[in-house]
Amino acid sequence: MPEPVAQKTLDMTRRASLGALIVGISAIAVGYAAALLPRGTPTWAPWLLALGIPVALGAIMILGAARGRMGIGPLKYPFAFVVAVLAIGFCAALALPATESPLSKLWLGLPARAAIVIYGIGLLPIIVLPVAYALTFETQTLNAEDVERVRELGRENKARSEGQSS
Amino acid sequence: MIIAVGVIYFAVIVGISVWAARRTRTASDFFVAGKGIGLLALTVASVSVSVSGFAFIGGPGFIYAVGLGAMYIVLPAAVTNVMGAWVLAKRMRLLGEARNLITVPDAIGARYRSPAAQGLAAIAMLVGIVGYMATNALAMGVVINSIFGVGLGWGIWIGMGVTLAYSASGGILAGIYNDVFQGTLMAIASVLVFLFVLEFGGGLGDISRTILAHDPTFLGPWGKLTPLAALSFFFVFSMGSLGQPQAVHKYYMLRDPLQLKWYPLLKTLGLVLVLLLYFSVGIGVKAFVLSGRLPPLASPDQATPSLLLNATPIILAALVFSGIAAATMSAANSFINIGAAIVSHDLPVAFGRRVKNELRWGRAVTILIAVAAAITAQLSGTMVAFLGIFGWGLFASTLVPALAVGLNWQGATREGAIASIVTGLVITLSLETAAYLKAFTFPAGVTASAIAMVSSFLVFFVVSWLTRRDAQSAIDPDVRFVMEL
Repeated sequence: MPEPVAQKTLDMTRRASLGALIVGISAIAVGYAAALLPRGTPTWAPWLLALGIPVALGAIMILGAARGRMGIGPLKYPFAFVVAVLAIGFCAALALPATESPLSKLWLGLPARAAIVIYGIGLLPIIVLPVAYALTFETQTLNAEDVERVRELGRENKARSEGQSS
Repeated sequence: MIIAVGVIYFAVIVGISVWAARRTRTASDFFVAGKGIGLLALTVASVSVSVSGFAFIGGPGFIYAVGLGAMYIVLPAAVTNVMGAWVLAKRMRLLGEARNLITVPDAIGARYRSPAAQGLAAIAMLVGIVGYMATNALAMGVVINSIFGVGLGWGIWIGMGVTLAYSASGGILAGIYNDVFQGTLMAIASVLVFLFVLEFGGGLGDISRTILAHDPTFLGPWGKLTPLAALSFFFVFSMGSLGQPQAVHKYYMLRDPLQLKWYPLLKTLGLVLVLLLYFSVGIGVKAFVLSGRLPPLASPDQATPSLLLNATPIILAALVFSGIAAATMSAANSFINIGAAIVSHDLPVAFGRRVKNELRWGRAVTILIAVAAAITAQLSGTMVAFLGIFGWGLFASTLVPALAVGLNWQGATREGAIASIVTGLVITLSLETAAYLKAFTFPAGVTASAIAMVSSFLVFFVVSWLTRRDAQSAIDPDVRFVMEL
């Protein structure tokens, strides 16, 4: 019997996110291993973390959010946005020259590179991710029908264990 | 004034505890509040236990010492709550419904059909809890001594005694409603201090200009840390959040699973409010000291006390001191409860036995853990600090792969889970101990927690792949159903 389309989509999404998680964690591992070299931390080691961390976090969120026929459905946009914000934020902090001085232009009270970190990495995901979670909750995460099916399983398990103990 | 507010604070704690004790009748009431906590109460309680005294004292002091690099410990809060919701909340809450699970190791045992994995996870958690409890007991002693002037030793025993009284009598129910009170107090204190610092410093722009004139590196994107060190903090405190039992355990307690819809949004907003103090005091005090408005600090940890005692109105200082006591007590209560569940529930299950009266055993073990923590906290400060350091890392390296990935990947195997838990436990303990004994020093930016977590992940994937043949058939149908939802 051919594999249902829903299961294939789900497996593809989960497989891809699992692969991305392994790649992200491996990049982080290489970054740490490089720092342990006798010559000291190479300049490229932080870049591996700057890219590996967003990939690993995005991947594990997708792994958790993948569901049925839809995979991650419309959640691909907020996930892509947040991975991009984290990666761009970290890379910008690494790449931009250090120009902080008393004459620096301030962005909402902070010099540019600090503003990228605090407002970009620290605040932008807050605006996007929890709202996306709430807006897609019934279709993507959990609905009353799901809960009822699990409660039915719970009743069956309870009856079985009571039957075994009596 | 500070003493009066402190007395009122403790009176409210006692009142809530007496009420909760009357409603605690079963082990489920004691360990997961009978799975009957509403959304708002659970959210505030979860914020409260996520923020220990570090956010009020150590954190601002760390910013004062190293600049913006210290923010990488709290910046992950932007993603961790919703990440936890997607990865763990639904599956753990539904497993609780299907299997009547009450602990984090329960979930690991059910997922892998393995008492050994459950027992190992329980042992790893117990080791981490010893460290966390000792540091929180010490922090309680410091705060109570600051308020009442009773001495550090008595401060530890008084703080632990009050926490123990409500933990042992009302279990997690008392803990949750005390957390609600304490979390509210922490949020109010944090917002007021944030507004005060902005007012006192003439706005964030003026504070930044003062710092930039004296120490521009402080406001660089990594502060005085190396980029690797700052990014390492972000990794450990983001991915590692998925293994923190004090937060993860709360998923079981929500009355209606459908209320999870608003949980990440509310918790993230709550955390942002509570963490305003961390950021504002850290950079505010730096600017005030540089401009001569506050005296130089004897040590970075004096940042918050110096601001409170030299600049803020006394009522605000009293509120913040109570908030700090609240932070340490709520964290301690949560860990006492989790530790009691491990000893009276998880370890017996791992050895194929069930204790007859889990509620009575839970209360007895609660007392033992609290007394042990108070005694440990009397040890030298460096030993206690050492114990506290590996708590977070140990939970992260032992639980994240097996729990967070395992509940979402049917290819994960029992052998992979056991190997990753053992890897996390052994690497964390051996590297932290070697570093404590000064057998070697890590290069800047590399920590035992990070190495242990990365190793644990890699071992989990490799061993699961090597033993993948029976992975699918080793999952019970009801667990598989929950994993596929």
